[in-house]
Amino acid sequence: MNSNRREFLALAGAASVAGFAGFNGGRGAQPKAVSKLPLAGQTSPVVVVKAASYSKDLADAMLRGILECELDVFGKRVLLKPNFVEFDPNTCINTDVAVVATALEVFRSLGAADVRIGEGPGHRRDTLAIAELTRYRSEIPSFDDVFVDLNRDDVTGVKGFAGREEFYFPNSVLSADIIVSLAKMKTHHWAGATLSMKNFFGLVPGSIYGWPKNELHYIGIDTAIVELTRAFGPKSFALVDGVVGMEGNGPIQGTRKQAGVLVMGSDLAAVDATCCRIMGIDPTRVGYLQKAADQLGVIEESRIEQRGEAIAGLRTNFELIKEFSQLRLA
Amino acid sequence: MAGLIPDSKSYLGARLALLRKTQNSDGGWGYFAGKSSWLEPTAYAALALAGEPAADRAWKLLSSWQLPDGSWKPAAEVQVSSWGTSLCATIAIVRNEWGHPLQNGVKWLVGSSGVESSWMNVAAARLRLVKQERDVGLKCWPWKPGNSGWVEPTVHALVALKQASAKLSSSELRSRVHMGEAQLMDVRSRDGGWNYGSPAALGVNLPSYPETTALALVALQGRHDLRSDLGKAFDLARRQVGETPSPMARAWLTIAMRLHGLKPEELTGDPQTDLMITGVEALAAPEGNYHVMRTAGATA
Repeated sequence: MNSNRREFLALAGAASVAGFAGFNGGRGAQPKAVSKLPLAGQTSPVVVVKAASYSKDLADAMLRGILECELDVFGKRVLLKPNFVEFDPNTCINTDVAVVATALEVFRSLGAADVRIGEGPGHRRDTLAIAELTRYRSEIPSFDDVFVDLNRDDVTGVKGFAGREEFYFPNSVLSADIIVSLAKMKTHHWAGATLSMKNFFGLVPGSIYGWPKNELHYIGIDTAIVELTRAFGPKSFALVDGVVGMEGNGPIQGTRKQAGVLVMGSDLAAVDATCCRIMGIDPTRVGYLQKAADQLGVIEESRIEQRGEAIAGLRTNFELIKEFSQLRLA
Repeated sequence: MAGLIPDSKSYLGARLALLRKTQNSDGGWGYFAGKSSWLEPTAYAALALAGEPAADRAWKLLSSWQLPDGSWKPAAEVQVSSWGTSLCATIAIVRNEWGHPLQNGVKWLVGSSGVESSWMNVAAARLRLVKQERDVGLKCWPWKPGNSGWVEPTVHALVALKQASAKLSSSELRSRVHMGEAQLMDVRSRDGGWNYGSPAALGVNLPSYPETTALALVALQGRHDLRSDLGKAFDLARRQVGETPSPMARAWLTIAMRLHGLKPEELTGDPQTDLMITGVEALAAPEGNYHVMRTAGATA
């Protein structure tokens, strides 16, 4: 289902009005499930929106996708989870600052009760210094006031995560109504691709599990990705920054690759599978997507309802390291 | 801080004033003001304020977090043994408390190592059944039991054990210190510094970070025999202290240079909202307590 610009603007206007009415003490909103595994025979919607650059049109593109996914954020506490695991000025490791800043404004305009940005970088101890390097601190208004360092947040123990008797997660993650995985579209030298599901590694607190979060490696990277999605996927929304992604030896040392898209949806596995197809990767050969398929979401093309742009014309093969050459989509 | 009380407008004074103001009623500090107490910010604050009543209250809280096996947990509600055991051992030594809590903590540290050094992994590596990018025969320390060893927890364990060796030395302790130092040298990045502990991934060299380079230099103080090997690391440290945007990295680089007898540039700027970094910055000041990390003369 493609939307034209007129329909989009009408939807966006209505959503914005509803949002501002909410800030002024207007209507309440009924809680609504934001993510679920489709029943047999049903499909998961995934929206692909073209975004040639990190320009002012990004807000339009983002809003269009969110509305087409019918995501209701009114009155909810939203946690935006970008990826700034590391920083290297010579490549593009991080969710672009423009995507994060725009998401902050868009979710506010849609009437979210509270929008925060949270990340627990996996390698570096000084989180705010990474936020400085990625320009988050300088370009996102009042960044320090809306940011939660998930590596240093207070935590609560959760029973049974990944077979562990008790596993600790940041309170900001546990208390959020909606987690928005603001992932970067990248290849990954251990997992094949890092997208909205792998981005959840940053939800795990370094204060307990260290830098890097080695506990997840011992759980098994694919298993940990799946278990994090099992725990948080049902209240999550994926918004993948594929405007400029990373190919080759990702997620840190790869090279820039323009894909020119934002990919969105409430079924994280379906979103990641769609990203893979855009990247020229066969999602059915990616370990964690194989494990997630049919228990956490859908990955078959026939069960993903493609909204927005058709992906056929958007495919641009991301270079794969030789260890993952078998992932190439036929 | 025996003697002079620094002006609250000075670099050190502003940080100590912030720490005094943000201490929780239980005696600890959160990573940020108003948050629950955690071991790491509490330990650095206690070291920065050593000799003050605030540090005594902090130590009382931390003492209540020691687990029966001798290790320390990282927060009241978190039932996990932690690398922070090393910081608590250092506090005990600074306080000249050499009794059972310290002895049990040291014993736990001596027995703790990354799982990559299990006898099965070492045997598999020696038989070339698995490819390792580091020498797994060299035991180091993990962030928590059941994980691999990494640079930062290894650094703090080495500092604590070298300090403890003044009165609690044993052949096992000395062996762990020698292995730990050798392990640090083994995981240096090609540029001469250190990152979290992986000099390469899939055969591609990974760069060092300023904060971990600084920490490794702290752990290797007193190793005059390594001075020439560490030349590139010192060059990096001198350059990075002026380049890094990280106050935490600047503070650790400054501490490392002071401990190695070098004269770093003066630190400037307002305190951070991150109280753990505030504590490290307070240690790094010229008149701060950076010497609590000193191990020279106590090497194995």
